[in-house]
Amino acid sequence: MPRIGKIKIRVPRSIHKGEVIAIKTLITHPMETGFRKDKKTKKKIPAFYISDVSMYYGDTLISRADWTIAVSTNPFMTFYVKADKTAPLKIVWKDIRGGVYEKTIQIKPQ
Amino acid sequence: MIKKNNLLKTFVFAAALLVGMGTSSFWAGKAIAADSKDAGTIEDLTPSMSYAEYQKRYEAYYGDATAQMAEEGNPADFLLDDGKDLANKVVGSKGKSCASCHGKDALKLKGVATGYPKYNAALGGIMTIPLQINTCLKQAMGAKPLKYESYDQLALTMYVKSLSNGMPIKVSIDGPAQPFYKKGEAAYYKRQGQLNFSCAICHVQYAGYKARSNLISNNKHHVDHWPSYRLKWGKTGSLQRRFRGCLKNMRAKRQPYQSEEYRNMELYLTYINNGDLIQVPGMRM
Repeated sequence: MPRIGKIKIRVPRSIHKGEVIAIKTLITHPMETGFRKDKKTKKKIPAFYISDVSMYYGDTLISRADWTIAVSTNPFMTFYVKADKTAPLKIVWKDIRGGVYEKTIQIKPQ
Repeated sequence: MIKKNNLLKTFVFAAALLVGMGTSSFWAGKAIAADSKDAGTIEDLTPSMSYAEYQKRYEAYYGDATAQMAEEGNPADFLLDDGKDLANKVVGSKGKSCASCHGKDALKLKGVATGYPKYNAALGGIMTIPLQINTCLKQAMGAKPLKYESYDQLALTMYVKSLSNGMPIKVSIDGPAQPFYKKGEAAYYKRQGQLNFSCAICHVQYAGYKARSNLISNNKHHVDHWPSYRLKWGKTGSLQRRFRGCLKNMRAKRQPYQSEEYRNMELYLTYINNGDLIQVPGMRM
């Protein structure tokens, strides 16, 4: 059974106030395109992919991404944040079957 | 119309026959038939290049792409956490978990993976970690054995191996293990399948050259990073899954997981990697 929605977020160890840091994220998800056929039953495997990713820094939505079938299995994403305040960083992934996966980490600039 | 088609078919058939005959006579000088009773002879192949030369080619072709991918995020890392939870979980009729015998988080198994695969007297053959896990489940815990390549089986194998991360592989082929090591070596050099390849043809004679735009790997560091995530699978898999993948491409008959031949081959490959440090999970193309 696939384990879906396991998340790993990497933040730099030392963050200076105002520094632009790279946040690296990994989520497990099959990202089925809907074009693959099951080898045994010859039927199309239905599409199942993450379509929306939102990133919140504190209360503000700082970035949003629309993903399609072009993104492969277990998507890895890097995005950049200007670390100007101590606030939680929340990332929310939503897939086309209504699955919602999220994780929050603290950003504490020194 | 019909006459023309027949002619084409005959031509194609004849060409295929000639090619087939030609190929087999080319190899016939040194080949050993797959079902030959003389299966113990090892074909004499010249290694293609030194490991240093192979490394140079690897750097030139891939750079540090796989290393970077592994560092940024290996999806197989999630199996490590799940493996630890599974080791602590009570399962089976005897009310035990792995931790009951091997300590909390199975920490007493630290260093154990460096000696696997090893000869097991009760089994009368070579024991690998996945088979050992199933043996423990059946005998010591009274639980159902896990299907090979299932998530739980891989997670536990990966976790047990990870407890030996950074330690050098140290398998023994002394005493009762010796005949199985020889059988494993013979299996590695055995010609099989429609293309009449053996593992050694590619990984000894043509290591460092390309097959399907991938560099053919050298024998060194072959087993120290398995179980590994593989981009092609989009999943984590075991070394024996990789064996079966190669055998499928060679158009050879595949055996079920943990068959005697695969376990012998694992012993052979692990022995020639003695000294390499265990680094699981791996990241492969």
